[in-house]
Amino acid sequence: MRYAYLFEGLTLRRVFAVSAICVAFAAACVWFFLNTFWDLLVSALCVGYTSMVLFTIAGNVRQSRFRREHMQVLAIVAGSFLGTILAGVVKGRDLTQMFTEKLSGVSITMGLGVGIGCVVVAGLLLREKHARDEARLLQAEAERHRLEKSFLEARLQLMQAQVEPHFLFNTLANVQHLVETDPAAAGRMLQSLIDYLRAALPQMRESTTSLGREIDMARAFLEINRVRMGSRLDFAIDVPDDLKCKPFPPMMLISLVENAVKHGVDPCCECGSITIRAAEAEGRLKVSVFDTGEGIRPKKGGGVGLANIRERLKALHGTAAKLVLEENAPRGVVASIEVPASS
Amino acid sequence: MSARVAAVIADDEPLLRAQLRSRLTRLWPGLDVVHEMENGRAIEEVVRAHAPALFFLDIHMPGVNGLEAARIVGKRAHVVFVTAYDQYAVEAFERGAVDYVLKPFNEDRLALTVARLKERLGSRPAQLDDLVDSLVARLAPKSSEHLRWIKASVGPNVRLIPVEEVLFFRSDEKYTRVVTCGGEALIRKPIRELLDELDPQRFWQIHRATIVNVDHIASVRRGLKDQAEITLRDHGETLIVSRAFTHLFKQM
Repeated sequence: MRYAYLFEGLTLRRVFAVSAICVAFAAACVWFFLNTFWDLLVSALCVGYTSMVLFTIAGNVRQSRFRREHMQVLAIVAGSFLGTILAGVVKGRDLTQMFTEKLSGVSITMGLGVGIGCVVVAGLLLREKHARDEARLLQAEAERHRLEKSFLEARLQLMQAQVEPHFLFNTLANVQHLVETDPAAAGRMLQSLIDYLRAALPQMRESTTSLGREIDMARAFLEINRVRMGSRLDFAIDVPDDLKCKPFPPMMLISLVENAVKHGVDPCCECGSITIRAAEAEGRLKVSVFDTGEGIRPKKGGGVGLANIRERLKALHGTAAKLVLEENAPRGVVASIEVPASS
Repeated sequence: MSARVAAVIADDEPLLRAQLRSRLTRLWPGLDVVHEMENGRAIEEVVRAHAPALFFLDIHMPGVNGLEAARIVGKRAHVVFVTAYDQYAVEAFERGAVDYVLKPFNEDRLALTVARLKERLGSRPAQLDDLVDSLVARLAPKSSEHLRWIKASVGPNVRLIPVEEVLFFRSDEKYTRVVTCGGEALIRKPIRELLDELDPQRFWQIHRATIVNVDHIASVRRGLKDQAEITLRDHGETLIVSRAFTHLFKQM
């Protein structure tokens, strides 16, 4: 059935409803017309059924030139016209006579058909709109649940995020050496490690945090890596003091900085630099991590941390926040997080 | 008077090179660290120039890592791997013939390694290829054979878009539109080429000119003729599935 879809919605219920309206209408009209009830009922049913079928088809036709509602009203007019002719045929009337001598009768049938049809259609469309609104509401609800779920998942991942053993042991090996050769430097490195761990260990993490705290954590991490990587890593932090008290989601900046070291500067054998910048403009706080490292190769993995950040940004700020990655010139990557700025 | 033993240390962290060197020379006065390397890039030249009997190779190094370097050294020298922490690596070493050192260094453990090495120096270096192969398989970051990032020009910048973010690709005359929740960009790579490079599990061609990310599909419904229409989550545009591709969405 290739065109079966055109009749979608033409349910028994609809047929019964139309029949009922026709019966009621014929019964009501008996008082005003000379015709018999049965005669009126045949006219009403012809007009009603024809309109109903055309209305259903008009609602299902796949086209985009006209609005569906307009098509349906047009279908009612056409249905009333065709239905009136059909009634004439059913009753065995002479069609030419119908449109000459008995034109007034025909006009009344058609007019009533159109009038009642439009009232019924208006009711139907209102009900449909109501159903659509309801569906939209349910969809919004479902979307909200989905967001809540992804927020919880992202939060769980955040709580589970751990300090990499590789990082920890390598750092301690450096401290071990410095203790013997340069105790002051060993002290500084231990302090950086303590700062980093205090922020990075889940149970020590607070739910709200400021940009300043996130920057401090990133700085501790970068200090450690600068010692470890010797001359291969250089970094700069260019963040105005007045932005440091701004709220900023936790553990996002450090993820970007870790990526910049791990996937950017470290894989290159030459030296690279990392710069953190923050700026506020038009009510938006933008924090960027620039690296001059290896850059991204099209088939390289490593988007998991980024996907996590995106999920969390979406859960926190909807479409008002974003994470954007761009190529840095002449090499490397710029990763930026933009959130609505609040004081 | 025994002959002196030549060794080379390769580690990307300068302090850890210095530390290993000082500990080794303290434990093994007969050892000469003849060369230090930041990574394995020049390993072949070092083998030829210094002909060392011993290599201490950090597994994690940029450029040419310790495992690749060990493969190049082959049977020309004894290899000791150095690693900070890696469960798999340690497991593999426990089973294999090769020795390893954990960072941070433990003096007693390092002394044991030195004792074993002194014994082994008389014998031929072990064949490491099998061990290296299994380690590479376990440690190497899985680089996917599919496209993971799309590079697209947005104004003067080159935007890097992870493919998971892409809702759909659609050809648009000379270019291909890359549509994401946050906006869209143009690339020059045609649909045909994208199709070869993208993960076919996630990206389905649904039309001559369209590839959709199935993760972002909200619903599919029948459309005009034998086509179907796809609506996406978080995006208003409706996508047409042409007749040739509707079988992808037939009910199971």
